[in-house]
Order: sequence, then structure tokens, then C-alpha cells
Amino acid sequence: MFAKLKKKIAEETAVAQRPGGATRIPRSVSKESVASMGADSGDDFASDGSSSREDLSSQLLRRNEQIRKLEARLSDYAEQVRNLQKIKEKLEIALEKHQDSSMRKFQEQNETFQANRAKMAEGLALALARKDQEWSEKMDQLEKEKRFLTAQLQEMKNQSLNLFQRRDEMDELEGFQQQELSKVKHMLLKKEESLGKMEQELEARTRELSHIQEELITSNQMSSDLSQKLEELQRHYSTLEEQRDHVIATKTGAENKITALEQKEQELQALIQQLSVDLQNVTAETQEKEKVITHLQEKVASLEKRLEQNLSGEEHVQELLKEKTVAEQNFEDTRQELLAATSSQAKAINTLESRVKELEQILQATEEQLKQSRAVVLAQEAHIQELAAANTESSQAQQQAVALEQQHIEHTQALEAQIASLERVRACEQATAERGMRELEQENAALKESRSECERSLQHHQFELKKLKEEWSQREIVSVAMAQALEEVRKQREEFQQQAANLTAMIEEKEQSLQEKAEVLLQKEQEILQLEQGHNSALLQIRQLQGELEALQSLRVEEATAASEQDLLRLQGPERGETLPASGPNVTSKALYQLPAAGGTPNGEVEAMDLGQLQKEKQDLEQQLAEKNKTIKQMQQRMLELKKTLQKELKIRPDNELFEVRDKPGPEMPNMAPSVTNNADLTDAREINFEYLKHVVLKFMSCRESEAFHLIKAVSVLLNFSQEEENMLKETLEYKMSWFGSKPAPKGSIRPSISNPRIPWS
Amino acid sequence: MGGFFSSIFSSLFGTREMRILILGLDGAGKTTILYRLQVGEVVTTIPTIGFNVETVTYKNLKFQVWDLGGQTSIRPYWRCYYSNTDAVIYVVDSCDRDRIGISKSELVAMLEEEELRKAILVVFANKQDMEQAMTPSEMANSLGLPALKDRKWQIFKTSATKGTGLDEAMEWQVSCFQFSVHLCVFMAVDTHMS
Repeated sequence: MFAKLKKKIAEETAVAQRPGGATRIPRSVSKESVASMGADSGDDFASDGSSSREDLSSQLLRRNEQIRKLEARLSDYAEQVRNLQKIKEKLEIALEKHQDSSMRKFQEQNETFQANRAKMAEGLALALARKDQEWSEKMDQLEKEKRFLTAQLQEMKNQSLNLFQRRDEMDELEGFQQQELSKVKHMLLKKEESLGKMEQELEARTRELSHIQEELITSNQMSSDLSQKLEELQRHYSTLEEQRDHVIATKTGAENKITALEQKEQELQALIQQLSVDLQNVTAETQEKEKVITHLQEKVASLEKRLEQNLSGEEHVQELLKEKTVAEQNFEDTRQELLAATSSQAKAINTLESRVKELEQILQATEEQLKQSRAVVLAQEAHIQELAAANTESSQAQQQAVALEQQHIEHTQALEAQIASLERVRACEQATAERGMRELEQENAALKESRSECERSLQHHQFELKKLKEEWSQREIVSVAMAQALEEVRKQREEFQQQAANLTAMIEEKEQSLQEKAEVLLQKEQEILQLEQGHNSALLQIRQLQGELEALQSLRVEEATAASEQDLLRLQGPERGETLPASGPNVTSKALYQLPAAGGTPNGEVEAMDLGQLQKEKQDLEQQLAEKNKTIKQMQQRMLELKKTLQKELKIRPDNELFEVRDKPGPEMPNMAPSVTNNADLTDAREINFEYLKHVVLKFMSCRESEAFHLIKAVSVLLNFSQEEENMLKETLEYKMSWFGSKPAPKGSIRPSISNPRIPWS
Repeated sequence: MGGFFSSIFSSLFGTREMRILILGLDGAGKTTILYRLQVGEVVTTIPTIGFNVETVTYKNLKFQVWDLGGQTSIRPYWRCYYSNTDAVIYVVDSCDRDRIGISKSELVAMLEEEELRKAILVVFANKQDMEQAMTPSEMANSLGLPALKDRKWQIFKTSATKGTGLDEAMEWQVSCFQFSVHLCVFMAVDTHMS
């Protein structure tokens, strides 16, 4: 064992020396220990002599290895021991300080933690339960509300459905109404059309009637004319008949006359025949006489001849002459008688002839008259016939007229009857139409009423709907708000739950970690126990080793080994003896306490810290939330302010901009000299200015003095008058306006172009 | 001279001609208001380059009403007409929200004039028949009327085309003038005698 240890230590030292650090083992000790241990290396072989030779080498090797290992372990242990001693030294101090306090703290913390945990858990549970309850209540409420709202919604929907149905019905009704109305309108139109037709017909009929009446009147007139004519004709006819009778009478008279005349003629012819006979007699007489005359003339001639021959026989001649003269006288007488007779005869003949002629003429005349009368009669007869025909015609016409009249009358009666019937029909129709109209109107009114009712109901419904919608919207808003609140609450709850879960998880984690820590603690304790055991064993080993060492020392002493080694061992031994027994319990206690202190206190602290941290975090979060809320509010306020300022600026800005654009005529105006014309923006609008000037001057010249007085300034400004000129103008006007005073004397500025060089006004 | 006689006569009987200026931005309806006041009819107007002056008789009071053109270039000449003004009718287009600022600045500049110190201010919120017209209170605030000191002012909502609000405004002016009618008479006589 020692050899192994030694080897191990040697190796250790070698290893430790190689990295160049006497960090683990103090050099002086290690060397000596190595040296001392290296001397005892051979004992293992001796002690293990039971094994065979072949095995021995391997065993030796193994033993060597074991020894090495053991040495290493030993060195480790030594190191550990040293470390532990160091730690112990440290820890002893710390431990004694911390031990109680940490324990107390731990316990307190543990208790407080437990209490806190319990409280928190309780509080959380309570809060959660409360919140749960609240939320459940809220949820219930909300659900109730939701149910209520859904019910209302349902109602609303139903109502809206009803409404829609109503509306549909309304629409249908309206449609029907409109249809009916259109039907009625159509019917009315038709009726009106038929009425119009009827009226047209009636009008046509009345026109016809009037026409017929006119015709009737004309025919009546005609008939009256005709009757008049007829009467005239009858009168004529009667006159004509009278005439005819007269004519017939005359005819008979004439015939009588004719017969008389014929008789006369006959008489006259007889006379004429007598006369002709007479004439013939006369002629014969005259022929005889002429023969006598010729005889006589012959006689005369013979006598004359005889006278001539018988010249001597004057007396005889004379007597002859006397005879002759007597004869001549006789002759002459006869002749004269003859002549007279002839003349008388001729006269008679002539008279007769004249009478005959006259008679003939009369006859002819009478004949002519007769003829004429006949013609007349014929004509009259023709006329009469015509008249008769006309009469008949007229009678026919009259009859016709009468017939026509009758027809017309009948027609008119018929028409009147028709009219009456039509009127009756019309009246009936009108009545029916009116009734229909009334009915329709009633219907219409009823429909309108129903419509209005429907509209009212619709409006009511719409209003209700609106109200309900509003309510709904409100409810919706409320529900939305509630839902939002719910959601928020839910979120909060979730958050809380999460937090709780987190907390529980954390608690669990903490518990777990606690458990783990406890386990670790236990493990550590176990380890410590193990280590203690190991330590104890090591101590035991060490003791054994010490014992062995002592034995060996004793052996060495006995064997009388090197003094230095012995010294070293002696030195080492008490040291070890001093250190190691003291370190044993301390180490264990330290190890015991160190680890819980290392594990527990931070753990408790961590948990407390975690809780605190959580609370802090929570508070921080809450603070952050509050801060954020504040900042949000501030931001909102700022936004509002900004909005306001923006609006203000917006209100102000156009003014400013436009004001700037307009070159601020307002503020500049008071500063300006009377010559406004120098203003910049006036130059821009020269034309407008010119027009303005023109207008002002025109007005100045044309308007009343009282008005012109007010224009002086404008004119003087526009025309860039000087103060004197303006005053002069004023005075002049005042002079014009007043009765009194004299005309103001023109002052020096009468020629402003010279006295005051004019600045162009533009 | 006859005019003078009548003016003297009327001034002696307390009907001095009040001098009223109708001012305002171009297109506010000044000329329409003038002729609405004078003849009671809506006339078609063209932009006034210059001015219109008419005598309006209202309630036995004669008003010499000057309608000055409101175009930007001739607005500076308004001040030539300020003297002896009894009242200023400031016409604002209620629908012209863009130029209400200009209107305000013009009004402020006008009211700063010494010559108009005693003139009463009547603001016509014209074109009230339009849909998007500003309310009188809105306009009064936009024009900064409530901030006016030492100034008798009143705002009326008018519509020159419909003829609404003009009578009320004239009534108010008449009531204002009758307040100081004796002073007016004195002033009238004074001005005519001088």
C-alpha cells in the first residue's frame, strides 16, 4: 500500500513537477514523502509472496500499478485532504459564521418561503379563485347578456324577418296596389277612351244631328219655299186656270167670233161673191159702158167725123155737139155715176176688202191670238204640267221632305234616343266609373291608408329596427367592449394564469430545483458521507498507514534507516497527526455545511430572489404598464395638442401664406404715403388700375357733388395729386356746392406738370 | 343746388344721408347686395373695377351706399373712401373658406384705420343659401370679431340672391343711426355750412 502510495506520490510529484506547479503538494513534503515512500517499495513483493512466480511479475506489475494508483489516489487524497484542510480552514471560519446564520436564514427563508409560498399560493389561489369567480360571474353576466343579446338578436332577426316579410308584403301590396291602380287607371283610361269615343260619337251624332237639323231647316225652308212656290204655283195655276177659263171663254168667244166671223166671212164672202158678181156685173156694165163709151166714142168720133164732114150742118153739129155734149154730159154723168158706183163699189169693196182684211187681220190676229193663246195655253198647260209635275215633285219633295223630316225626326229621335241611351249609358258608365272611381278611390284611400299604415308600421318598424339596430349596435359596442373587456380579462386571466402557471411552474421548478438541490444536497451529503467515509477510510488508511508508517518507522528505526528520512517522517508524522485528526470532523461538518450553504443558501436566496424578482418584475411590469399608459396618455394629449396646433397652424398658415403672397397691403397701407401707386402690387395690375382710374374719374365727373366730394381723395391718390392740388379740388367742389364764397383763386400748383414733376402713376 | 337744398332740408329734418361702405373680397356679393338694397331685385353683375354708389332709402333714412370693388389690386384704394363713413358693411362669402383668412386680414387692416374709428361694422355672412356655408358664429370666430374692442359690430347671415337677412341688417343699422341722429344732424349742418 505504501509503496503504491509512494509510487503514486512519486508519480504525482513527477506529474506535478512537470507542469511546474507545486500547487497541489508542497515541494518539500512531496520529495521527502517520495523519498521515504520509495524506500518502502519493496515490501509489497514480500507481502505478496503467495502468488506464483509467473504471476508474480504480473502481480507485481499489477501491484505496482495498484500501488501507483493507490499512490495517486493517496496523493489525490492527500491533495484533497490538503485542499480540504485549506477549505476547512477557510470554511471553519466561514462555516462557523454562516453555519447558524445560514441555517437560521435557510430555515427562516425556507419558512418564510414556505409561508410566502403558501400565502402567495393561497393569495394567488384566492385571487385566482376570486378572479375566476369574478370572471365566471362576468362570463356568466356576459353570457347572460350574450344570451340576452342573442335572444334580442334573434328577436331582432325575427322582427327584421317579420319586417322584411312585412316589407315584402308591403311591396307585394304596393305591387298589387299599383297593379290594381294601373288596372283601374287602365280601366279608367279605357273608360275615358270609350267616353271620349262616345263623346266623339256623340259629338259626331250631334254634329250629324245639327247637320240634319240644318238640313231639316233647309229642307223645311225648301219645303216652305216649295209650299210657297206651290201656293204661288197654285195661285198661278188658279190664275192660269182662270186665265185658261178666260182664255177658253175667249176661245169660245173667239170661236164664236170666229164662227161669227166665219159666218160674217161667209156672209162677206157671199157679199164678196155678190160684190164680185156685182163687180163682174159692174165690170160687165163697165165693159158694156166702156163698149158703150167706145161705141159712143166711135159715135163721137163718127159724129165728129160727120161733124167735120157735116160742117155745114152746124146746127146739126151744134145740135149734135149739143147732143154730144149732152151725151158727153150724160156720159160724163154716167161715167161719174159709174165712177161713183165703181168708186162706191170700190169703196164698198175696199171697205169690204178692208173689212175682210180687217176681219182677216182680226182673224189672223185672233188666230194668232188663238195660236198665242193656244201656245200660251200650251205653255201654260206645259207650265201647268210642269207645275203639276213640280207640284207633284214638290209634293213628292214635300213628301220626301216630310219623309225626310220624319226620317230626320225619327233619326233625331233615334239619335236622341241613342244620345239619351248613350247619355244614360254614359251616366251609367260615369256613375259606374264614378262608383268605380269612388270604389277605387276608396280602395286607393284604403290602400293608401293601409300603405300609410304599412308605411307607418314600416317606419315604426324601421324606427324600431333603427332603435334596435342602435340598441344592437350599442349592445354590439357594449358587447364588443365587453368582449374586449372579456378578452382583456381573459387575456389578463390568461396572463395571470400564465403568470400563475409560470409562477407555479417556477415554483415547481423551484421545488424541483429545491428537490434537485435537496437531492444534490443529499447526494452531496452522501458524497460527503462517502467522502467522509472515504476520508474516514482514508484517515483509517492514513492511520493504518501511519500505523504502518509508525510500524515502518519503528521498523526503520529498528532497522536504523536514514536519519533524514526518519526526521522527515517524524516531522511529517506529527504534522499529519496534528492536521489530519483535526481536519476530519471539520471537513465533514464543513463539507456538510458547505454544500447546503453552497446549495441551499443560494437556492433559498434564488427562490426568494426569484419571488422578489417575480414580484419586482411584476411591479416593474405594472410600473412599465402604468408608465406606458401614462406615456400613451401623454402621447394622446400631445397628439391632441399637436392636432390642435396643426389645426391652428392650418388655420393660420393660409392666412400667412396668402398674406405674404399679397404683399401685406393692409399693414403697409397706413405706412404708405398718399401715393399708393408706388405699391408693388399696383404695378402688377396696371390695366386694372387704369380701368379703375378711368372709372373713378368718370364717376367723379358725372356724379353729384356730395358724392364727388368723397371721390376727391381717390382721384388725387390715383392721379398722384399733391396736397395742394387736392385741397384746390376740395375747395373748388365746396365752392360749387355752397351758395356763398368766391371761387378759390388758383394757387401756384395750377400747372402741376411744371411745378411738381409728375411721377408716372404706374 | 337743388341737391344741396334737399340735403339741407333733409338734414334739417333728420334725414341726413348716411354714408355706408360695402367692402369685402371680390366675388363676395357686394354689388348684388347694393342693388338688392336699392331696387330690391337681383341683378346680374360683373366684377366691379371701380365702385358703385347708390342712394338707398330705408325707413325714412337715406343711405349713400358705396360699393367698392374688392379685387386684390384695387383693394388698397378702399382707404381713399374711408373718411366720413358711418358704417361699413363687410361682406364675406360664407362658402369661401380658403380666403376667410385674407378677408380677416383685410378687415383687421381696415379697422385699424383712424378714419373708420367711429364707423359701425356690419358683417354680412353672405351666400347663406349655399349648402356648405359657414355659420355666422363660425365666421365671426374666423374673422376674429369677438376680439374687437371699441367697435359696434354685428354679424348677419344674408343671402343677396334670396334677399334674406338684409332687412334685419338695415334695421339694426337704422337703430344704430337713430341713436346718434342729433349728432348726425349737427354734423350735416356743419358740413354744409362750412
